[in-house]
Amino acid sequence: MQLSWSSLLPVFILLSSMIPGLLIFAVREEQVSLRTTLNLTGVVLKLFFVGLMLYGVSRGQDFRFALPFLPNAPLVLHGDALSLQFVTLSSVLWLATTIYAIGYLGKAQLRSRFFAYFSLCISATVGLALAGNLITFLLFYELLTLATFPLVVHRGTPESLRAGRIYLAYTIGGGTMLMLGVALLHSLANTQEFIAGGYLSDMAEAHDVGLRVAFVLMILGLGVKAALIPLHSWLPQAMVAPAPVSALLHAVAVVKAGAFGIIRVVYDVYGVETSTNLSLTQPLLWLAAATILYGSVRALQQQDLKKRLAYSTVSQVSYITLGVALVGPLAAIGGIVHLMHQGLMKITLFFCAGNFSATLGVHKIQEMDGLGNRMPMTMAAFTIGALGMIGVPPIAGFISKWYLGAGALQSDAMWALLVIMVSSLLNAAYFLPLVYRGWFCASPQQGWPAEQSWPGQRFETHWMLLLPPLFTALLSILAGIFAGSFFSPLGWSQFIVAREFSL
Amino acid sequence: MNYALVSVALPMITVVLLFLVAAPVYSRLQTLVTGGLVIIITVISLSTSWLALLEAAAQSTTSYLAIGGWEDGLAIRFRLTPVVALMLTFTALIHLLLALYGTFSRHGVPKDYWSLSCFLHGSLAALWLSADLFNLYVTLELLSLSAVALVALAGPGAWKPAADYLLLSLAASLCYLFGVALIYGRYGLLDIAMLTVVVNDDLITRLALLLMTAGLMLKAALWPLHLWLPAAHASAPTAVSALLSALVVKAPLFILWVLWSQVAPPVMAQQIGPVFALIGILALVFGGFSAMRTPYLKVLVAYSTVAQLGYALMALGLLLAWQQPEMNSALWLFVIAHGLAKTSLFLAAGQMQTTLGTKRISGLRGATQTTPIAMFAFAVAGGSLIGLPPSGGFLAKWVLLEPLLSQPQNWPWVLGILLGTLVSAAYIFRLVVMAFDRARINPPDISSDHVGQWLALVPAVLVWGMALAGEQLIQLLGEGI
Repeated sequence: MQLSWSSLLPVFILLSSMIPGLLIFAVREEQVSLRTTLNLTGVVLKLFFVGLMLYGVSRGQDFRFALPFLPNAPLVLHGDALSLQFVTLSSVLWLATTIYAIGYLGKAQLRSRFFAYFSLCISATVGLALAGNLITFLLFYELLTLATFPLVVHRGTPESLRAGRIYLAYTIGGGTMLMLGVALLHSLANTQEFIAGGYLSDMAEAHDVGLRVAFVLMILGLGVKAALIPLHSWLPQAMVAPAPVSALLHAVAVVKAGAFGIIRVVYDVYGVETSTNLSLTQPLLWLAAATILYGSVRALQQQDLKKRLAYSTVSQVSYITLGVALVGPLAAIGGIVHLMHQGLMKITLFFCAGNFSATLGVHKIQEMDGLGNRMPMTMAAFTIGALGMIGVPPIAGFISKWYLGAGALQSDAMWALLVIMVSSLLNAAYFLPLVYRGWFCASPQQGWPAEQSWPGQRFETHWMLLLPPLFTALLSILAGIFAGSFFSPLGWSQFIVAREFSL
Repeated sequence: MNYALVSVALPMITVVLLFLVAAPVYSRLQTLVTGGLVIIITVISLSTSWLALLEAAAQSTTSYLAIGGWEDGLAIRFRLTPVVALMLTFTALIHLLLALYGTFSRHGVPKDYWSLSCFLHGSLAALWLSADLFNLYVTLELLSLSAVALVALAGPGAWKPAADYLLLSLAASLCYLFGVALIYGRYGLLDIAMLTVVVNDDLITRLALLLMTAGLMLKAALWPLHLWLPAAHASAPTAVSALLSALVVKAPLFILWVLWSQVAPPVMAQQIGPVFALIGILALVFGGFSAMRTPYLKVLVAYSTVAQLGYALMALGLLLAWQQPEMNSALWLFVIAHGLAKTSLFLAAGQMQTTLGTKRISGLRGATQTTPIAMFAFAVAGGSLIGLPPSGGFLAKWVLLEPLLSQPQNWPWVLGILLGTLVSAAYIFRLVVMAFDRARINPPDISSDHVGQWLALVPAVLVWGMALAGEQLIQLLGEGI
């Protein structure tokens, strides 16, 4: 094996968060500056490496690292265009979330443990994004479960332990399904590397049953993390975790891992043609559409802000699956770009929800009256995120919905377009009242439920809590306005899809 | 072959040495001297067995040694194959880890542990090398006797489980011995390689094999003959529990494997294969279920041994049923991965029990804060039992799954593996979740023993490290005998 700069870069990207993570375990609770330095060094290094790789891939360079593991199934890290999009998203949002978490946790206990698992969680996500074949993907998919679990139960209350149990039951079950699917596929066709168009087209006829079973098993496994119904129930439960964890879980790490896996399986393992020939995409499409509507309706029923956001995630993440299952280039662009856009907008919303509860003790929707007067900047960011989710131009969410809708028309699936429209109406129905309450209702007479202030606080809340949502809200506007440029999420998605569909 | 002999002889010589240096009083210095001696000897034994492994892997044929230079048929023979060499290395490794623990952990081991554990190491190493049925019997007896004595070291509370273990073990030995006598009466031979050629499918052979199998299953605590195991393993001193679960139960399994894959005619093996595999699945499910329900920590770990042996038995059964040599690697990977993981689990459990002052699982509330490293070791080792990638347990499961999945008619067996995985996950994570409790923390009784906790983590890291050598291991073990 030849070690060169281009083969080691994926490993560096992985290690730039894993090594600080492991080191932080050894950091004592009160060594705040050491821990922060470790964290930020990791973030900066990772962003630097990702930048290098982005530059390389856009110029056609290949980044690949392989290590022998199982017979005919080595561990492969491979930076291609699709993985880089996910890696970039995780790295940028890791930066925002790290700063946010430092502010949010303040002087709470067990911060070292928290940040250590936090870094490991990002490492697993990045590893999963860079995975070059299914076995590597499976490995990081399971590591992700293990790294996120301590974060979900971080508070250690009976309620969060219960959520943790449910989370494990779903994700370990899902992981086992995925493992069976991967093993079945390996026994049929060995574990080959992900390749645009898939590697199974030669055997689609000879092994149609086996391939179908493997597909169903893998979608079951991935569907747990992607929160497809009926495998979604863990997600709203996991809301008991601290706000930075929810933000990360919903925007990047866990749900996206599932959605990303579905993209990989459909495009790079089976290939669009083979999965259509085996009539696998149609049921997936129905499942995605059902999840979108179900999630929206359930979100409408929630009175707790974080719960409403959680069900909204259930619905929004399925847009990605919908885009994939529509099997047309335009829909594919919509789905892949939504992976980025949903991440930016959803993390903004969760940061804001965290700010409301940390600063004022606001958890319920009725308590949101007049928030705009007290916390205008946070409320502004929240509004941007909410409008983006509904699909108001020029925010990023509009771009995704536009391409998804166009893709539905291209694939002659009028009803899918209808689903997108109904769901957008429902989005408006559960987000607009919050925005209305925040800006146009009067603040409560008796004051806020539990107002808190920090020493030396200059803004409406601690600056470390305020900066991240403003940053991500700005990004989601920029992603919408500059959608036409090559380095926007849209431009990059078009680049990916052009290769997948060999346009 | 010479390396292997050194690896066997050294622990036996140490037993004698230990009697010479034994002092009547029990002091810290005494522990350090004794432990240090055992560690040095075990390191040498480990290195020689490693050299033997390299030698065996390089050779294409099995090497034999006729002890005393007698001719074949008359001589007691030793044989060295890759599997045997690997088991020698594995035995020395586990013994070394436990010797380190006994020397440097504050909770340590009873004074008489050292000579007995060396004796156990020596007899087990001789067992791996033995190539005839009677010699296997002798070494198995030596092994069982030292195991019983080790259990009894825990004090009066362990005497009853130890006595039960002794009685059952003797009964099992008689069963086995009777089978050996029948074989000898029928063929006039005991050497395995020679029996392979002459053995017939007749009533006496069947009876003999069944008797031996029953005895061995009882000794290996294979479900449903496992009832003695949880009591014995849970009441033994920590290091002993690890030794028993990681090594001792594997010896009868090895003989069972030799018996059915090398002595028995293939037709008979094919008949019994599915039975073994089915028993394996039942063991996985019922053993796992008991582990899920027990309120005691060490009993949980002991029941998990019963369950995990189910995987090994399933691999053995399918190996026999389909006569597929690849299953050999699944079987031995399970044995090695389980041994390492179990060592870690017992050491971690022992650390947590002593520090938190409770034998109950409910006492582990908040253990991620009170005994973080031990709890981490427990979770990491547990991950291998569940079979999470890329641990050793995953390697084994992967190798077992491949032939199952390649033929649609074999898919029902996959269900057994699925169940096994989910049940193991349930009993491991039930405990892990409890350890994250911050609302009702069980405060520690004494300050925690950092060295001991870290030593508990070592085998857990090793079992995950098996991934790095995954391809070589699978290849090495896949060749069979």
